[in-house]
Order: sequence, then structure tokens, then C-alpha cells
Amino acid sequence: MSASVGIVLVSHSAELAAGLRLLVEQIGSDTVPLATAGGTEDGRIGTSYDLVLAAIRSVDRGGGVVVLPDLGSSVLTARTVMDDHPRPDVLLVDAPFVEGAVAAVVTAASGADMKTVADAAREARHVHKL
Amino acid sequence: MSTSSDPTTTNATTASRQEMAVVLPANLHARPAGQLARAAAGFTSALQLEYAERTVNPTGVLAVMGLGATAGSTVTVRAEGHDAAEAVTALAEILATAE
Repeated sequence: MSASVGIVLVSHSAELAAGLRLLVEQIGSDTVPLATAGGTEDGRIGTSYDLVLAAIRSVDRGGGVVVLPDLGSSVLTARTVMDDHPRPDVLLVDAPFVEGAVAAVVTAASGADMKTVADAAREARHVHKL
Repeated sequence: MSTSSDPTTTNATTASRQEMAVVLPANLHARPAGQLARAAAGFTSALQLEYAERTVNPTGVLAVMGLGATAGSTVTVRAEGHDAAEAVTALAEILATAE
């Protein structure tokens, strides 16, 4: 089996990202490389370029990295990081934060490649929860 | 295993079609849905999960959760392919032992 895809959760809030991490580890897997980049470096609500960059590097096992932003400046910060460090195997994915993270981790846990994991996160938008 | 299992096999060549109905001991919530999706990804057979006249692919964790299947209700697992029997057995086991 090839190297696992890494997942990065980018949020304005460290607590939100950490809570989502606990949730996806319970539902999906605690073996998928997963990192959070939540809040600013001094613990405030916001996003941090350096935390996003460090998170991407920390989950890179060679199988690619899927980056999931919550909204707003999480998207902008992640995009800036990726513009400065362009790599074909790091994808910023447009997906609902909670559902996309669950789908991505479950899919990555089954050994899927980066594109499949990214597609699973994107498709989360179209799955009804009721 | 508290299942009402009714395996029906139509074994033409090596591929087969299998089906098993399971009465859920607990609601099909997030954790068993995740287990089911990860297990389902390991089979090559075409898989279906049916509940209340809705059919989803069990590899989709969100779709499985979205069924909203509750304790005491019946979910049917279907598989068609070379590992259909193994797939149905494995998925039915997860459903039947969900907490």
C-alpha cells in the first residue's frame, strides 16, 4: 500500500480544529496523518501562515496532503502558503468543514490516493444529513 | 449475532450476489458508519445498503449516517462480485454488533 494521504484542518479557532480532530479520529481513524492549524500563534481567533505551513509539512508522508479550510481567511491564508510553496501533491479542497473532514479521513484510512480523498471531501457537500 | 440473515446466492461463475438483512441493535450513528465505510472500501464487489426504501453505497460514511437508521429497524446489505460473500458477512457483522 502506498503512503497515506495527510489531512490538514485549517480553522480560525484552535478549539474548533482540535474538536474536529477528536471527532474524526473517533469516526474515521486515528492512524491517518492529521494536523490542525487553528487560531493565531498567540492563541487568538484568526489564522497563521506559519501554523498552516508547519501543519502541511508535519503530515506529509509522500502520499500527498489535503488541506481543508473552515472559511474566509482560512482559505486565503492556506492559499497564500500554497502559492509560496507550490506543490502538485498538496491540494486546497473546497468542502464543508466537518463533513468534508470526516469523509476525507475515512477515505484516507482505507488507503485511497490523494485525488480520491479530495473527491470524497468535495462530495460531502452533496450528501444530505436528514 | 442478532441478525435475521437470509443469504441468497446466485452463483453463475465465480462472482456471486449476496444479500443479508440485519436488525440493528443500536442506532446507525457516526462511529459504526465510519467502521462500515472503512470495511466496505476493502472489497471489490459492488455494495449496497438499503434502509426504508433508500439505497446508499456503504463506502460513503456520510451517506450511511444520512440514512438515519434506528435501533430495531432492518438494514439490508447487498453485494455483487467476486468477494460478495465475504463483504456481506463482514458488513453485517459490523451492523449487528454496533453499540
